[in-house]
Amino acid sequence: MRAKVKRFIQKSPFLLLLVSTGILFSLIGLCGRKNIYSGQEYAPLKEPASVMMFKGFKDDIYPWQMFEEESAAVMASKEDAGQQNDTAESGAVADGQGDEKATEELPDKAQETDKAAESGEPGDEGKNSQGPAQEADDGAGSPESEVKDGHGPDPAEEAKEADTGRNGTSAQEKEEGSGNGKDQGNKEDQESGASQGTVSDSGGREDEEDTKPAEEDAEEGSKPPEGKDLQERELPNGRIKPLRESTREEYLNHISADIYGDAGVKRAAEYGFSQVDESYFDDALFIGDSRTVGLRDYTDLSEHADFYCETSLTIQKILKEDFHGLGTIEKALENKDYGKIYIMSGINELGVGTTEDFMDHYTEVVDFLHEKEPEAKIFIQGIMRVTGKKHHSDPIFNNDNINARNNAIATLADNECFFYIDVNEVVCDEEGNLNSEYTYDQLHLLGKYNDLWKQFLLSHGVAMEQE
Amino acid sequence: MVSFSGLEFLFRLLPVFLIIYFITPAKHRESILLLESLIFYALGEPLFVLVLVVATALNYYLGEKLWKPGNVPCIYGRQVRRRKTFLLLAVGADVGILGVFKCLAVFVDNALLPMGLSFYIFKMISYQMDLYRQKVPEKPGWKQAALYFTLFPQVESGPIMGYAQGGFGSGKGCSLEGFEDGLKCFVAGLGMKVLLADKLAILWNDLQMIGFQSISTPLAWLGAAGYSLQLYFDFWGYSLMASGLMVMLGYPFIMNFNDPYASKSISEFYRRWHVTLGRWFREYVYIPLGGSRCDKKRLVLNLALVWLLTGIWHGNGFNYLVWGSVIGLVIILEKLVYGKLLQKIPLLGNVYVLVLIPLTWVIFAVTDLQQLVIYFGRLFPWFGGEGIAVNQRDIIKYLRDYSIYFIAGISLCIPAMTRFWKRHKDHPLVMLLLVLVFWMAVYSQSVSAGNPFMYLKF
Repeated sequence: MRAKVKRFIQKSPFLLLLVSTGILFSLIGLCGRKNIYSGQEYAPLKEPASVMMFKGFKDDIYPWQMFEEESAAVMASKEDAGQQNDTAESGAVADGQGDEKATEELPDKAQETDKAAESGEPGDEGKNSQGPAQEADDGAGSPESEVKDGHGPDPAEEAKEADTGRNGTSAQEKEEGSGNGKDQGNKEDQESGASQGTVSDSGGREDEEDTKPAEEDAEEGSKPPEGKDLQERELPNGRIKPLRESTREEYLNHISADIYGDAGVKRAAEYGFSQVDESYFDDALFIGDSRTVGLRDYTDLSEHADFYCETSLTIQKILKEDFHGLGTIEKALENKDYGKIYIMSGINELGVGTTEDFMDHYTEVVDFLHEKEPEAKIFIQGIMRVTGKKHHSDPIFNNDNINARNNAIATLADNECFFYIDVNEVVCDEEGNLNSEYTYDQLHLLGKYNDLWKQFLLSHGVAMEQE
Repeated sequence: MVSFSGLEFLFRLLPVFLIIYFITPAKHRESILLLESLIFYALGEPLFVLVLVVATALNYYLGEKLWKPGNVPCIYGRQVRRRKTFLLLAVGADVGILGVFKCLAVFVDNALLPMGLSFYIFKMISYQMDLYRQKVPEKPGWKQAALYFTLFPQVESGPIMGYAQGGFGSGKGCSLEGFEDGLKCFVAGLGMKVLLADKLAILWNDLQMIGFQSISTPLAWLGAAGYSLQLYFDFWGYSLMASGLMVMLGYPFIMNFNDPYASKSISEFYRRWHVTLGRWFREYVYIPLGGSRCDKKRLVLNLALVWLLTGIWHGNGFNYLVWGSVIGLVIILEKLVYGKLLQKIPLLGNVYVLVLIPLTWVIFAVTDLQQLVIYFGRLFPWFGGEGIAVNQRDIIKYLRDYSIYFIAGISLCIPAMTRFWKRHKDHPLVMLLLVLVFWMAVYSQSVSAGNPFMYLKF
């Protein structure tokens, strides 16, 4: 037998190397499943456990972080020993099961969640908290907790989670942040949760946010998770409150809910833009994703304006991005006084979080720009739509979702410092879809059609006298 | 379609297949492999697996009528005629099946073309021809014939192995060395497919996204080169994976690519590119037509016909016809006019191949003829191919993003690399490198799995 093993080792070193590394990576994945990788979807029948480790790399989550999280996780599991010891497991399983189950099971369990909030009372601290920490939880957290509810945790768990959050366990946040089947969403949410979350707030707030929709849903059938909070906010002057709240279905689906209506778009359209010439862009800064890269590369605007754009940029990443060595936006604003700042972002994060999350991030970004460059006119550009073909075939990247988010960001325009302009006016067909002749991939303008966008910008200047 | 480079195949299907295969006694392994192959195909084509099964049964039945031991000549004319009739019947049925589905794909819906049909039908024709020519020494049993047609490593995209090459019928032993060798080939192929071809595919996609009118001439050439490498590593990588799997299962290695980009003429290139398809056309079309042992007129006709058929085989678009015709024309010119000159000046031959082949791949890639004209206009702007909104500096951006893939890809096209691989594939450092390649490929697949926008980051 020994000789056989020895022979095997001698004859199959490569196979052994592959198998042993495979086992090691899978073990890492499985060990991390309860903490650092808990936010990930994992389909054991389709992929190896090592996939979790690799997906973690992409989100800057490394295996050694498992040990940093471990002590907190152990504490948590001790607290709810017995009935709760499979929380992470059920959560992870639920991830793969998607929204439907959560939706189905929720009504019965919602009251439990409600009680949890009352008995645990952990939520007060974060009641009015906003900003990045909130994003981390809201983006995907609530539906996840719904899913958990479906699997029958009790009030103690809710309280525990909130406490853990307060104690600064970002792993728990991530667990809460695990999504409803939209992987990208999880990642983004985790990212913001891990990097920006002020944990003491998020823990409490999370609990409240988790329980609030369930509570309302149980009572009234269809209530939003965020709406109340949004309405209670002190909105800066001129900003429009949502016209309605996102429906339960929209909320669970994590895709855009058109909660703002077109009030913002209408008000923005009241402004009388004027025709300008190219020198107008001499003090302009363009921020955006690959579509703005197209504008930079296939028009001569880059001879006048500065472009801070990057493929796959999202609103969450804008303020952190290094833009291929150009530096961050903050540095750009320090180095030069810009008179106009144009921003277009939103297509990449369409499947991420909710309209509310997107709106919060967007608000944070434009407020930051305004704070750093108070004199600059900030042009919020509506997200360019996709073609009808894409619109009809894609559950996420479709024009309903784009329009909903455009309606949201349009409300930020006050026609004094912030302006909303929508290039869709010139690149879309009669049905409001991106003109299929203008694109190959249903999403990006062909190089030569970026000129339409440029001409649109030239016709949407803010004249000096109006400034 | 189950992809060899997909995580589900790599980590779920393949290990299960291999374990079941190897715990089965050697004499029953062919049966198990046949079953696994049918499951594999059915997973990708739950409905069209019936086409495969029917075609398999039909070909086995007709093949049985054809078979005759290699050392027994046909004495009676009646016997010869009878065999010929069955051959014509079999080949006619196979060509008919292929023709019908090709027409359905062209005129109705592309989804009506069963996966791998072109490949397994060619194997079936090859089987009948080899039986007719008495090249198969032992009479194939139904299991062996069915296994030959359906072998899961080859059923999707070849290689188009000859029946006699497979060594069917003998119980498949389990050799650790063979398994190791096959596994290394498989991993090398996986790396080529995932780490090179799939990455270079993004470059080509970008060019289409920008629109050919707006790409600069240097970028147009870079795109042509990138597509040439992409196609090569995609197909060579796939073939290596398929052949590696065959070796792991105890079958011989089938060479499908033999450093084609080091060729000195287009004829040589196609003797080294997709070798098994070239062999098929040579043995079953070109030589029966008279090959090159005939007058010039006939030679031209033979070559033209072979390349026209090759074009049709490759795809349904009109551009494939153009592509096949261009290659045919160039090969005819080589045979009749300047072939000897290329042989005399090797460097000239190399340059000629490296310039001409990427151009022919552009024809292969661009299905819309109008777009093709625009692309050639950008490649040769001196002849009036003016662009619109061209960014003259685009090449800098793309060189920055893709030079690593070009360096790696071009290095792997050098024959010395193949020699190095053959000599040193058992070296511990090479093995470690392969392990790294494997996990890098798995990483790449992990982070893009389930993401339909793998190529499309906005």
